[in-house]
Amino acid sequence: MKDQHLLDYLHTFIDQNDCSDDQFNECALTLFSYQYKNNIPFQKYCLQKGKTPRTVKTWQQIPAVPINAFKELTLSCADPATAERIFMTSGTTQKVQGKHYHPSLSVYDLSMIRNFKERFIGAHEKIQMGILFPTEDEMPNSSLAHYLALAVRKFGKEDSQYFINGHGLELYPLMDKMEHVEKTAEPYALLGASYSFVHLLDELENMGKVYKLPSGSKILDTGGFKNKAREIELNAFYDRLSQYLGVHRKNCINMYGMTELSTQFYDDGNDVVPSHKSGPHWIRTRVINPLTGEDVRKGDQGVLVHCDLANFNSVSTILTEDIGIETEKGFLLLGRAKGAEAKGCSLTVEELFQARKGN
Amino acid sequence: MKEIAGYLPPGFGDNLDYQTLSFQRNEESIQITIPLLSENQISNLAAQIKNNSQRVLKLFTVNQIINIIDQTIAVFLDRSSPFRQKAEKLLPVITGYDKEIIRLGLTSYLKSFRKPQLYRFLTEDFNNPMLLDEFQPRPKGGFSKAVGLDLLVHIWAGNVPALPLWSLISGLIVKSGNIGKVSSNEPLFAGLFVKALVEVEPRLADCIAVIWWKGGDHARERSLWSQADGVIGYGSNQSLSSLREHIPITTRFLPFGHKISFGVVSKISLDSRKAIQTAHNAALDIVRYDQQGCYSPHFYFVQKGGRITPREYARMIGHELACFEKRYPRQSLSLAEMTANTAWRNREELSIFLETSKEIMSDPSGKWAVVYEENTQEIIPSCLNRVIKVVAIDDFEQIVDFVVPFRSLLQTVGLAASPQELFDISNILTKSGVTRITALGSMTSPESGWHHDGRFNLLDLVNMVDIEQRAEEYAERFAPYVD
Repeated sequence: MKDQHLLDYLHTFIDQNDCSDDQFNECALTLFSYQYKNNIPFQKYCLQKGKTPRTVKTWQQIPAVPINAFKELTLSCADPATAERIFMTSGTTQKVQGKHYHPSLSVYDLSMIRNFKERFIGAHEKIQMGILFPTEDEMPNSSLAHYLALAVRKFGKEDSQYFINGHGLELYPLMDKMEHVEKTAEPYALLGASYSFVHLLDELENMGKVYKLPSGSKILDTGGFKNKAREIELNAFYDRLSQYLGVHRKNCINMYGMTELSTQFYDDGNDVVPSHKSGPHWIRTRVINPLTGEDVRKGDQGVLVHCDLANFNSVSTILTEDIGIETEKGFLLLGRAKGAEAKGCSLTVEELFQARKGN
Repeated sequence: MKEIAGYLPPGFGDNLDYQTLSFQRNEESIQITIPLLSENQISNLAAQIKNNSQRVLKLFTVNQIINIIDQTIAVFLDRSSPFRQKAEKLLPVITGYDKEIIRLGLTSYLKSFRKPQLYRFLTEDFNNPMLLDEFQPRPKGGFSKAVGLDLLVHIWAGNVPALPLWSLISGLIVKSGNIGKVSSNEPLFAGLFVKALVEVEPRLADCIAVIWWKGGDHARERSLWSQADGVIGYGSNQSLSSLREHIPITTRFLPFGHKISFGVVSKISLDSRKAIQTAHNAALDIVRYDQQGCYSPHFYFVQKGGRITPREYARMIGHELACFEKRYPRQSLSLAEMTANTAWRNREELSIFLETSKEIMSDPSGKWAVVYEENTQEIIPSCLNRVIKVVAIDDFEQIVDFVVPFRSLLQTVGLAASPQELFDISNILTKSGVTRITALGSMTSPESGWHHDGRFNLLDLVNMVDIEQRAEEYAERFAPYVD
C-alpha cells in the first residue's frame, strides 16, 4: 500500500515504551498533515474552522471532528472501497450508522494488543476466557466483536469459549464452565458487553446461584448502560458482579472504547466508581468546553476530546458526547451528555422530531 | 444567600417540610427554600382555598380586584421597593440571565398588567365586565353571570421570569382560588408577587398558595386534582400529556405546550436605510430571554429581491447579535445545554458539504450563531440560546411549505412588511396555523389581552350561568304584586 512508511512510523511509535510531549506532538502533526491531504471531507472541515497544517502547531489545535461526522461523511484517507474492514456504530437511536474505514487492521490490532496486554492480561501469558458477546463472524462490522476475537486469539487459552449465540446468552454451558473452573482453581476471565453481564446476574439471582471464581480471575465489561442514573447503577453493578461471581471489584475492569477510535481506555478496577480511565502513550484526552473548544479548568466537568494516533486512516482527533473530568491519573467518565431538558416554553429540536414522527 | 420562596396562607405553618433548591452563577450562590407539603397538607390546603374562593374572593367586585392588582404591579414597577429590588437581585442568579435583561424585561412585562391594560384584558373577553359580579341582561333575553372556577391549579414552566403572572392574574380577575406550582428553574417570582399582593389586600391572604413538588409526583398531584376545578399547565407536550392522563375528566384542563415562532422580512424593508433597523429588531427578538419564550423566533424568512440580499441581511443580524452580546450577554449555559448547542451546530456545519450555499456565522466562543440557507427543502428549528436560521425565499407562499410540518406548534410571527403585505402575509400564515402576528422586535412582548395560542385568557376560566328568559317570565306569575 502507498502509505507503507506512515504505517511503519506508527508501528514504531506504538511499539515504544513511552513518548515525550514533543514526540507525541510530532507524531500527531505528521498524522494531521497526512489526513488533511488525503481525507478531503476532513480538509473541508478544517478549512471551515480556519485550520491548516501551516497554522496548527500542537496536537491540541487539531480540529476535533464530532462523532456524528462518521454518519454524515466518508472520513477515509484511502479509497473506502478498498477497506479491509468497516466498523459501524450500533445506531440504535438513529437509522444512520457511523462508519469507520480501516484499509488495514495492523495498527488497530497492534494498538489493541499492546494496551490489552498491559492493562488486562498483566503477568499472565494466556488466560482462559469466556466471551459474552457474539463472534466476529456474526458481527463483522462490530469493532467490539473484533476486539474480543483478537483478545481470545492472542491471549485466550485453547478452551476459551463464546457464550452468546443467535438466541442470546447460553446460560447453562456458562454455568457448567464456571462450576468446572471453580474446581480447577485456574484463573478465568469473563469479557463482554456490560448489559450481557446484567442479564447473567439477573439469571443467577433468580436461580440463587453464586460462584466463586478462582483467585486471579478477572472481568472486563464495556459499553455501560444508557439512560440510567450512572453512579448508583455502577455501584450496584460491581457489587453484584463480585457477589455472584466472586471476583473482587478491583479485578473488574471497565473498558471505554468507541467505534470511531482505534485505541481503548481502561481503569484499574472499580473499587470506587466512577473510576479513573486512562490510555496508552499514543492517545491523549482533553476535557473541553464544547462551545468554545477550550480546555476547562482542571477538575471541572467538560466534554472529552480524544487524539488517537492509531486512528491513521480517518481522523486522529474526535469530539465525543461524553462528559468527564480530568484527573492526575487520567479522567473520570461521567457518562453521555444528554440533550438539555427544555427550560423555557420554546420547543426543543428533540421534541420537534418526536412531534413530526407523530404526524 | 438564603431565601424562602413560595407562599402559604397564614396559619398553615405547622409541621412543614421544606425543600432547598440551589442556584450558582459564577461567584454568587442562592439557596431557595420552598415548602414541600405532604399529600394530606395539600388536600387541606386545596379545601381551604376552595372554600375561601367562595367565602372571600367572590365577594370582591372585579373593579376592586383590578385595583388590588394594579397597586401590586405598582410596587414591582417601583425600583426602590424591596420587592422589586429582591427580584432584580435574585432573578439573575436563579435564571442566569443578564441583570439588564431581567430589569428591562420585568418592566416591559409588568407594564402590561396596570389598570388600563387589565381593563383591556377584561373587555377582550367580556363585553360587559360586570358579568363577573352580577347577573347581567343578555341581548338574546334572560340574564347571565360569569362564575370563576373555585379552585384553579397552575403548573408553571421555568425560564422566562415572571411568566406565571399571566395565569395567576387571570385567575384572580375571575375570582378563582389559586394554587400555583412553581418550576424548580425559577421558584421565586410567583411567591414574591403574592406576598406583595397580600400586603396590599390582606383579605386575600387565604385565597392563594404558591408551592412546589417534583413534577410527576402522582401521589401529591392526585390529592390536588380531586379538588381542582381547573388546571392550567405549561410545559413540554410530553409532560402535559402525562398530566392529562391523571386529571379527572370533570376537571377543566388547559394545556399550553411548547411552541415555534418565526419572523418574516419582506424585501420592502431591505433597502440600505431601513435594513439596519430591521436587523436590529430581528436581533432584539433573539436576544430577549435567549429565545426561551414560546413567542421567540426559531427562524427568519427573508425575501429575495431587495437592495440588501438575504445573505447580507443574515450577516447584519450577526453583527447586531455581536453588539448585543457586549451590552446584554447571553445567559450562562449548563454543560448539557452547551453540548446540545454544539451538537446542533456540528450538524449544521457538516451539512455545508452537501449544501454549498449555506453559510454559518458565529462568535468564536459560541455566544451566538446565524445560519443562512437558500434552496433548502426543509428546515430544522434552532437549538435556541441565540442561534437563528435565516432562510431566503422568493415569495411568501413558500413559507407555508416550510412550516407545514410544525402546523400544530406554530404561534407568533414577527413581521417587517408594507401595510398591503401585512394582510396578504397574515392571510397566508393564518392558513398554516399561526395565532399571533406582530411587529418584528415585539415578538417577545405580547399585548395585553392577546389570545395566547389562539385561546381566551379569562373565558376559559369561568362557567357562564344563564337565567333564561322563560324563567324570568314564569317567575312573574308568582310575584306577590301580580295583577
